[in-house]
Amino acid sequence: MTHSEMDELYELYLLGALEFEQASEIAEHVSQHCAYCLAQLKESSRVVESLQSLIELKQPPPELRARVLAAAAPPAPKSRPQWPAAFALACAASVALAFWGLGQQNRLEEVSRQRNELRSALAILSEADTKTVSFGQAQTEPQGRVFISRNGGVVFLGNRLPELAGGKTFEFWLVPAKGNPQAAGLFKTNAQGIAVNVLAKSFNPADYAAVAVSIEPAGGSPQPTSKPILIVPLA
Amino acid sequence: MHPEDKASDALLIAKLKERDPNALSAAYDRYGTLTFSLIVRITRDSSVAEDLVQEVFLRLWNRIQDFDETRGSLNVWVLAIARNMAIDYIRSSHSRFTAKTRPLDQTDFAPISYKANEVDNTLDNSKAVREAFTSLNPNQRKVLELAYFEGFSQSEIALRLEEPLGTVKSWMRSALTRLRTAMQEGRPK
Repeated sequence: MTHSEMDELYELYLLGALEFEQASEIAEHVSQHCAYCLAQLKESSRVVESLQSLIELKQPPPELRARVLAAAAPPAPKSRPQWPAAFALACAASVALAFWGLGQQNRLEEVSRQRNELRSALAILSEADTKTVSFGQAQTEPQGRVFISRNGGVVFLGNRLPELAGGKTFEFWLVPAKGNPQAAGLFKTNAQGIAVNVLAKSFNPADYAAVAVSIEPAGGSPQPTSKPILIVPLA
Repeated sequence: MHPEDKASDALLIAKLKERDPNALSAAYDRYGTLTFSLIVRITRDSSVAEDLVQEVFLRLWNRIQDFDETRGSLNVWVLAIARNMAIDYIRSSHSRFTAKTRPLDQTDFAPISYKANEVDNTLDNSKAVREAFTSLNPNQRKVLELAYFEGFSQSEIALRLEEPLGTVKSWMRSALTRLRTAMQEGRPK
């Protein structure tokens, strides 16, 4: 394709409306810093910019501004880990890892899933009735917290969990005062060694004596098949 | 873009590159509403749009060193990030059934409402450009909307509209030519 043949394609290239072959030809010129193409693209970007006129303006909620600024703010120095912040970081790290570690389609699905999980977890943490149970004070054992809300559900946040062998997963259990443990989610640790499991459902904490974590075959088990690595009494 | 906007953008970019948090506030104040509106238009979900707006500005903050002013304005860059994120989102299988399978007549071809007066700080709103937009025929608007808001290629648009590819290319070409010509005519001499 000659430059004159490309002249009517630069806006379409910027819009992503070209077919792969044509787009890749222009992309190749751009990657080689073709001065003509770069100048044409800059000019074409003004036309694409004018398409903003098609956008019907809607005011974002006022609180979004603070949220955006907080997300970019450098973390304040803390002497001890702040669990909600650590949780958010863990989720963000997981999202980032998922984003770079998977194929495009899977990435989007994983990011979307984790975004929903993060949203559920933050909802639980912000419930007025949320109670916190800490575990693992000794340096050598798993450490973390369990956040429990009658209305929202349960968030498990832990670190120093043992390394998983291939084909294994952590499984989270609700342990009733009477009866068998109830499966409540599968999870793994992220690159920072932090694990998060979110169970978003209303339940009565008084019906449960503890939560527990066991190592199960990938895909999980209906009932624990190994001795729990962690039991956290809720009373 | 007006010369004064260009100058203030240059200052804003410089401050962003210095990691001045006030510059991020200013960037949000300048582009937040437009970014949110664009993402809502693409995803049709305000809640999703809030999350994506946060990601857009986080990316702006973290990637500002990559921004090359010689290749276009900050406005175009921010909106391109937002548009790509939103289109990626609606292409994910998670949202496919809530966004992209709505009947065409309910979502895709809502009349284009030209809002030049409301976005006059962010784009060239010369009289010629305004007239060019209002003079586009329905087919030209349709193809522009499908490309801009849905991220469809010309062949995808042809399939969507059940029109020959050549026809779609012709509508697209004539629409863009009209806008391009109007912008050239409206440019200050």
